[in-house]
Formats: sequence, structure tokens, C-alpha cells
Amino acid sequence: MKRQIILYLIFFCFTTAIAQKYSTKTGEINFEASVPSFEEVKAKNTNVSAILNAETGDFAALALIKGFRFKVALMEEHFNENYAESSKFPKATFKGKIKDFDTSSLTENKKEFTISGAVTMHGETKNIEVPLVLQMQNGVLLASTNFVLNPGDFNIKIPKIVSNKISKDVMVSASFSLTN
Amino acid sequence: MKKRRLFFLVVILLLVGAYFTYNYLYQDHRDIKTEDSVIEITAEDLLQQFKDGTATSILNNTITVTGTISQIEEMAVTLNNSVHCSFDDGLTGLMDNKEIKIKGRCIGYDDLFEVVKLDQCSITK
Repeated sequence: MKRQIILYLIFFCFTTAIAQKYSTKTGEINFEASVPSFEEVKAKNTNVSAILNAETGDFAALALIKGFRFKVALMEEHFNENYAESSKFPKATFKGKIKDFDTSSLTENKKEFTISGAVTMHGETKNIEVPLVLQMQNGVLLASTNFVLNPGDFNIKIPKIVSNKISKDVMVSASFSLTN
Repeated sequence: MKKRRLFFLVVILLLVGAYFTYNYLYQDHRDIKTEDSVIEITAEDLLQQFKDGTATSILNNTITVTGTISQIEEMAVTLNNSVHCSFDDGLTGLMDNKEIKIKGRCIGYDDLFEVVKLDQCSITK
């Protein structure tokens, strides 16, 4: 009986240790594909979900395409209907791993890591490896990154007529306040 | 005299054309708060519909969801651990386990957390 209890306790300790997860449902992703002297092509999604497994450094994020909001309503409509085709492909995901991740090394000071993994959107997947800045502030794990994606990598075609108004390099920035 | 008339006609037509083009290009965003919702549904039923894949007509529409608050964040609440509703402004005076009715735009199903997400929400009751 005693042994059983001890075994149970050990098991319990392990499972809680394994379940060390940091997550958010309100992460932010911005992207911008503006060309100087043309209308700004920029959108923001503040409802991005993300989960970080603190034991392994595994990181997953999910953004619903319809959650991206533009300043110009017509641009938002075109983005959804013609480019991202959000009814057919409602989400963009990232699945990857932070290299040499160790929670105990995180402090209030920003520390740069590398994260590699796969971005999937519009039915296409692309592997990326980008820098990720992490810091721990009052128990909240702040993660942020910037990188460039190309519409062509995701089979998103930009018609000739607007191609000079939309940059081929889309600047993406993401930030997450992950809580335990 | 005839020439002058024609000139004015062209100017007026151009102005009208420019007015409509501008209105088309810079039309207003949808106002979810004043839109009528296409359906009123409980939080659990909504999640079930997305899990079954029968919720195609709900995506991007304004809907009303009823349920009890299971989690409160700074700018969002979760109903019955099934529907995550985000607001554009901060929230006050909400409590866990309170019955609530929320109107918002359905942006899709989040399979990381297994919740349906709404944005631009407002509390109707």
C-alpha cells in the first residue's frame, strides 16, 4: 500500500513536470508587404494561439486567417477571397522547436535563441529557421520574432496589375506573452 | 454654348465617377456590433459543429453565443472552455461562472486549444 502511494506520488511529480507548458490565446502577428508611395499593405491578428513546452522547447502557433485585420476594408476582403483564400484554408500554423532551450536560463534580459520548424498556410508548407527573442518577466514568458516570407512559397499568386503595389518580401513579426 | 454644356457634363460625370470609386475603395469596415447575428447558439453546440465539420455557413458571420464564463483575460473571455471571445476594448465587471450572451464575428476553429474563436465581440446580456 505504502509503495503504491509512493509510486503514485512519483508518477504525479513526473506528470506535472512534463506538463510544464506556457501558452496564450491572444498572441499577436503583424505582417507588412507595403511598397513606398503606394497604399500600405499591412495587417494585424491579435488572436493567435501558441503553446510552448518548457521541457523540450517544442513550440506551436496557430493563426486564423480571418482574424487578420487591415486598415482598408476592401484590402481585407481581397486578402481573404483572392490571396489567402481563407474559406478554403482557414488557418496558418507553425510547428517547431527552439534550439538549446532551457527555461532556467531565461531572465528579465532578452536572450536570443534560434527556432526552426514548418510554416503551413494556403495548403503549402515551408521550413524556416529564424531568431527568437525570449525573456521572463514576472512569470510571463515573452517571445518575439521577425522574419520574411514570400507569397510564392505558399502558392499565393499576385496578379500583374497589383504586383508593383505589393512587396514580394512580406515582413512578419510575432509576439507572444506566454503564461503558465 | 454647346461646347460649354458638354464640358460641364463631362466634369460632373468625372466627379460622380470619382465619388463612387473612392467609396468603393475606401468602404467602411463591417460593424459587427450593429449587424444582426445569423444564429444564436450555445458555446458547446458551436464547438461541436466545428468538430463535426458542419459549421461552414458560420465562418466569418456575426453570431450570438450563450454560455457561462470559464476564463477571463484582459481583452477576452472563454465560454464553457469551448468558445474564445475577444473584444476590441478592455472588459470590466465580469465574473467566472456568470451566464452571458455575446455577439461577435466567428473567425474559425483553433485546434491547438480546441476552441472556436470570435473577434470584435460585444456583450448583449
